[in-house]
Amino acid sequence: MNLLLKKIIVAGLLIFAFLVFVRGSFYAQVNTGTIDLTGGRRVPIAIAPLRNLGSGDDKRGVSDGVADAIASDMKLSGWFRVIDRSAYIEGPQSGITADSFDFKNWTTIGAESLVKGGFTVQGDDLTVELRLFDVYQAKQLVGKKYTGKVRDFRRIAHRFADEIINQFTGTPGPFNTRIAYVSNGGGGLKEVYFSHLDGTEKFQVTNNKSINLSPAWSPDGRMLLYTSFRDGRRSLFLYDLTTGRETRVPDQVGSSIGGKWSPDSQHIAVSFERGGNTDVYVVDRSGRSPRRMTEDRGIDVSPAWAPDGSRLAFVSNRSGSPQIYLMDVATGNVRRLTFSGSYNTSPDWSPKGDKIAFTGRVSGRFQIFTIAVQGGEPQQITSGSGDNEDPSWAPDGRFIAFSSNRGGRYHIYMMRESGENQQRLTASGGDDSSPSWSSRLE
Amino acid sequence: MAKLSGFWYTAIFCTFLLLQGCPKKTPPTEGAEGAGKTTTQGTNKPGDSKTKESTAEGGSLKDVREGKPPVGSGPLGEIYFAFDSFDLNPEARATLKKHADWLKSNASARAEIEGHCDDRGTNEYNLALGAKRAQAAKDYLVSLGIPAERLSTISYGEELPVCREETEDCWQKNRRDRFNVSGGKAPS
Repeated sequence: MNLLLKKIIVAGLLIFAFLVFVRGSFYAQVNTGTIDLTGGRRVPIAIAPLRNLGSGDDKRGVSDGVADAIASDMKLSGWFRVIDRSAYIEGPQSGITADSFDFKNWTTIGAESLVKGGFTVQGDDLTVELRLFDVYQAKQLVGKKYTGKVRDFRRIAHRFADEIINQFTGTPGPFNTRIAYVSNGGGGLKEVYFSHLDGTEKFQVTNNKSINLSPAWSPDGRMLLYTSFRDGRRSLFLYDLTTGRETRVPDQVGSSIGGKWSPDSQHIAVSFERGGNTDVYVVDRSGRSPRRMTEDRGIDVSPAWAPDGSRLAFVSNRSGSPQIYLMDVATGNVRRLTFSGSYNTSPDWSPKGDKIAFTGRVSGRFQIFTIAVQGGEPQQITSGSGDNEDPSWAPDGRFIAFSSNRGGRYHIYMMRESGENQQRLTASGGDDSSPSWSSRLE
Repeated sequence: MAKLSGFWYTAIFCTFLLLQGCPKKTPPTEGAEGAGKTTTQGTNKPGDSKTKESTAEGGSLKDVREGKPPVGSGPLGEIYFAFDSFDLNPEARATLKKHADWLKSNASARAEIEGHCDDRGTNEYNLALGAKRAQAAKDYLVSLGIPAERLSTISYGEELPVCREETEDCWQKNRRDRFNVSGGKAPS
């Protein structure tokens, strides 16, 4: 009887521990969003290399690799100061549960938050446990267990980074995502690429030695639309990441410019040029059944969907200079949004729905602005000597990717929507531009 | 014990959710295969005459692919525009009148008009602006009596600059229409 009771208790505890792991955030909601990150203070965080819980060698560098990826994300967020690994007192094989290591080893080096974890590699399969601790309260805030392939270890790290940010702010971070962009690889013609925010797992989508422009993710992050001169003339193309297949979206009206999926993935907003005039159209997902949305002799380009799909922001020079306009998709009613400046282009609608980011020209330079959808005075969020262009919102609506030539060549950067914490993401030898931030990956 | 099995059920369900949610797809690691079959078609129409063909065969995109500057070398010289404008200034009109005369005396020649922009501003807007610039030249040539069928247009926006300095001199060189002639006799 005594033995049976013991067995039941042990089994119960094991299951409970497992549940905490899998559904960890559910059990740790108490702290979510309670730490104030608005004052510009950066929370000192230590991220320990992962403990190898299996018997095999760590040939792929999972132990350091996961810790490095989380550290990179924490730095990019601007909300954390990552304490350098050389200061850590504990080695990687120390305990990873709250009762199996000494929190003093982490308070001593000034850490307020601590990430610890372990991993097991079996063939190509990887299991990773990650835990976030509040060092002063000496308690675990969240624990997660992930399984996947060894080659996906960085994605596991980015998912946990998003979870850490969820614990602090109440909304998951933007790191388990990809950025698509074009790069000319050092003066040549532009090709489409994508990578994680930290530049890892870079993938070249086009390799046609032609001009490829304006990549845009599908809402599920599995397909890219882009404009290409692959066949000598300009067309819209679709690349399916799952199959690796590139297909041309038929040009029903004229030669296309740009193209963005509607939030429900059922339509594409695109511009077609015919007889020198460019207008905005909405076509179905296979490029057919075009519906003309603008009819004037000016330039109408760069449609961007509202997150609920009911409206489009676009650029028109119908007033004599390029300005941002809003259109109701159902009625076709148009309202001019920007009135200051003589050059306002490349709108992107915030996933929160309340703001539009765009590029504006100030004193001969291009800068990023945001403006309330209701209108009013735009807020300039970049400044300085370089050009800052092509804003693309993160799926959490708190960060914006953009391109800048502040360092000579164009590179992709990210910043808070306030313009704070600007950080460079790409490091190619060429010019990188036209970022498109994906939705959160699975 | 009934409660315990409930726990197990939840645990298994959670494992299922976990596995479903785990990263399972990475893109293929090789180049975009669909893009591999690049068919490089020139943008010119067929029907060129056989004797002394002009040099125009593809234009600026072909030039850049071959590592050459995208500068026209045919009988019809470039015309230039002001920033964010597709208005034909008097100099451009004078040049286009000469182009019309040449096209009239070379009746089998066709011209492809390329519209270009300087690199300031947004790529998509500049593609549309380049189309306006090419169309402005085409419309003027048609008004001077050149059949529209002999003229085609393409915009390269800001993508094929002839120079890359951040100076007004360089920007001006890039805000251009280039004329690629096919068919007809080159001038002697």
